[in-house]
Amino acid sequence: MEEFWQQMVTGLATGSVYGLLALAIVLIYRSTTVLNFAQGEMAMFTTFMAWTMLHWGHYWIVFPLVLLMAAAMGGFIELVIIRRVEGGPILNIIIVTLGLFAILNNVATWRWGGIPKAFPAPPEIQVTGIRFFGEGALDIGPTVVSYHDLTILVFAVGIMAALYLFFQYTPLGLAMRATAQNPIASRLMGIRVGRMLAVGWALSAAVGAVAGMLIANLILLQPPMMMGVLLYAFAAAVLGGLDSPVGAIVGGLIIGITENLVGTYTPQDVLGPDMKLTVTLIIIVLVLLVRPTGIFGKRAMRRV
Amino acid sequence: MRRPGRPPTSKLIIFAVLAFFLLWWVPFSHILPGWVPLGLGTYRTYQASMIAMWAIVALGLNILTGYNGQISLGHGAFVAVGGYTAAILMVDYGWPFPLTIVLAGVIAGTLGFLIGIPALRLTGPYLAIATLGLALATPQVLKKYDGLTHGTQGINVRSEVSDQVGVLSDFMDDVFGIHLNDDQWVYFLALFIALLMVVLAVNIVRSRIGRAFVAIRDSEIAAQAMGISVPRYKTMAFAISAFYGGIAGGTYAQVVGFVSPESFNFLLSINFLTTIVVGGLASILGSVLGAAGLIVVPEMPGLVSFIPGAGLPDELSWAFYGAALILVMVFAPYGLAGLFHRFVRWVSSWPAAWRAGILAGLVLGVVARVVAGELAGAGVGLVLGLVAFCAITAWIWGPALTRAGAGGYSRSVEALRGIRSSSGQTGAGSEDGSSENHPDAER
Repeated sequence: MEEFWQQMVTGLATGSVYGLLALAIVLIYRSTTVLNFAQGEMAMFTTFMAWTMLHWGHYWIVFPLVLLMAAAMGGFIELVIIRRVEGGPILNIIIVTLGLFAILNNVATWRWGGIPKAFPAPPEIQVTGIRFFGEGALDIGPTVVSYHDLTILVFAVGIMAALYLFFQYTPLGLAMRATAQNPIASRLMGIRVGRMLAVGWALSAAVGAVAGMLIANLILLQPPMMMGVLLYAFAAAVLGGLDSPVGAIVGGLIIGITENLVGTYTPQDVLGPDMKLTVTLIIIVLVLLVRPTGIFGKRAMRRV
Repeated sequence: MRRPGRPPTSKLIIFAVLAFFLLWWVPFSHILPGWVPLGLGTYRTYQASMIAMWAIVALGLNILTGYNGQISLGHGAFVAVGGYTAAILMVDYGWPFPLTIVLAGVIAGTLGFLIGIPALRLTGPYLAIATLGLALATPQVLKKYDGLTHGTQGINVRSEVSDQVGVLSDFMDDVFGIHLNDDQWVYFLALFIALLMVVLAVNIVRSRIGRAFVAIRDSEIAAQAMGISVPRYKTMAFAISAFYGGIAGGTYAQVVGFVSPESFNFLLSINFLTTIVVGGLASILGSVLGAAGLIVVPEMPGLVSFIPGAGLPDELSWAFYGAALILVMVFAPYGLAGLFHRFVRWVSSWPAAWRAGILAGLVLGVVARVVAGELAGAGVGLVLGLVAFCAITAWIWGPALTRAGAGGYSRSVEALRGIRSSSGQTGAGSEDGSSENHPDAER
């Protein structure tokens, strides 16, 4: 039983990272219906920038700076590259994001090298005697939880809540929701649709940057590190429904847990840890067959 | 009711593909030694064979994604099934390779049919990610069930291939006096299979089946109202497309001589999709051009460095490739085939005297270069070759293209935007099939 809880908690932590990156994917998909294949590489790139900056400053100074830089990068990519192909065939935009993938990955390898690097966990903070973040582990009855896993969970929930508040209660959030729902009507209402899309990319890049910095502590920092995570994130986004931010996080958690449980509790000779990805993917496809637009996704209505 | 003197467009496509392989590769053996299968380099021969193999996959994927509108990011799986079928049959059962390639296609096609059934429920990005799952699972499945697949070490078929090809090459040497080495024979075999598949694809696309595919892509509801069985044709598209993948896999086993789980990772599947989008969706010519582009372009920094001052560091070749992808998508949204059609239309709008003059100048220039042996750089030769090829094609076939092919072409690709919003534009008639019935529809 102890092992079960252990697997659950580990699954929740990695699942939160998948969920965060899935959230970044959903943020872009909602407004532009683009699957951004460069999302993982953008996160990897910003994590490398963070790694460089950590030589000069404290983690909690670098962290917000990196978020700002990531946002600037996301907005820049939208303004300079994506805007040129927006409105074109959807597959073309996907290929452009694949091009970005190749560029970011290659430039990172060229600039920082392929040798894996250790990336620190967020250092601990004491607030009124309660310890947040940092290294080490915490005993919570049935099992032991590492502080970093808790950190990831807290970040996932925190970002989710912040985004909810942003989209529900700020004028900018309202404008972005309107743009996602109906770009033409939004433009007629005086919303700068193009600017909203750029803000969406910036926001998404920032969320991805958090995911990158958190996972870099678990798997070492290196150029191909986000590839696997990105695929899980896509699966999570699809499972939860591509237009649902809540679905992204929930999908990530489900995938994180399923993956760990499948690896531990299926017969080793037929399935076992080697096949955990395959079994997880089969489960996702089965879910999609019942709900073709994901668990939380809206069924697309069509006028004929 | 075909107008006299107008070449049928399907023949034009076959001509163009043939011309691409033969005209472009062969006459420039002097300018670009090693760039021609009959030239020197084993590696270049291998590359040319790979282009043929990629073209087969691209044709199949284009039938599914370009003509039928179902996005697949998992075609590597079908290629893997084909490759492994061929390799296992040759190594473990000693089958002759032509049979293994056929069976590779059939088995992959059956698998494609089975996958096409659940795929009926999914559309757009959901289908894309579900099929990406297929591509991801492939290497793991191949590694896990090693009783059949020989596990992580892969299967080496090189000796079987060279034995069997050796028989052919001896026969041709004795009877016809043709001397070619094994790699060159493999190249011509791959080319032969690719051309066969091109002809098949042209016939599928221009038949009742192809028209049904396009009708479903443009509007499922309208197609259904016309009496087309949507599930039947969608699964059929999957099966045909997977059959192509299987044939390509069988060819891959011959060309590379080795299959392993890591040969078929998910990046391969993503590259297949890139091939058809860069080449041109819903275009046979585009599938071939895309395959050539995708094999050659990652090596371009090496080519570019022939030109002084234009060298790129080798470590940045992938960034170069990424930038090339972005540039093609920005400046040629309908891919290389769209660019080609635009160019042909532009050239054929020139006065005939200009065209004749420029063509003559180009031919003279190329001949002069070959004769004088003066070579400014490999890149110049490549560009000249491509321009000359386009000019010749435009000269001969240009007027026909403008009338029937080109206009319909871009409009039917336009309809692919239906993939973007689920409320696809209805009624964007496809010229792909219907131009055969109403040759005067454009007028």
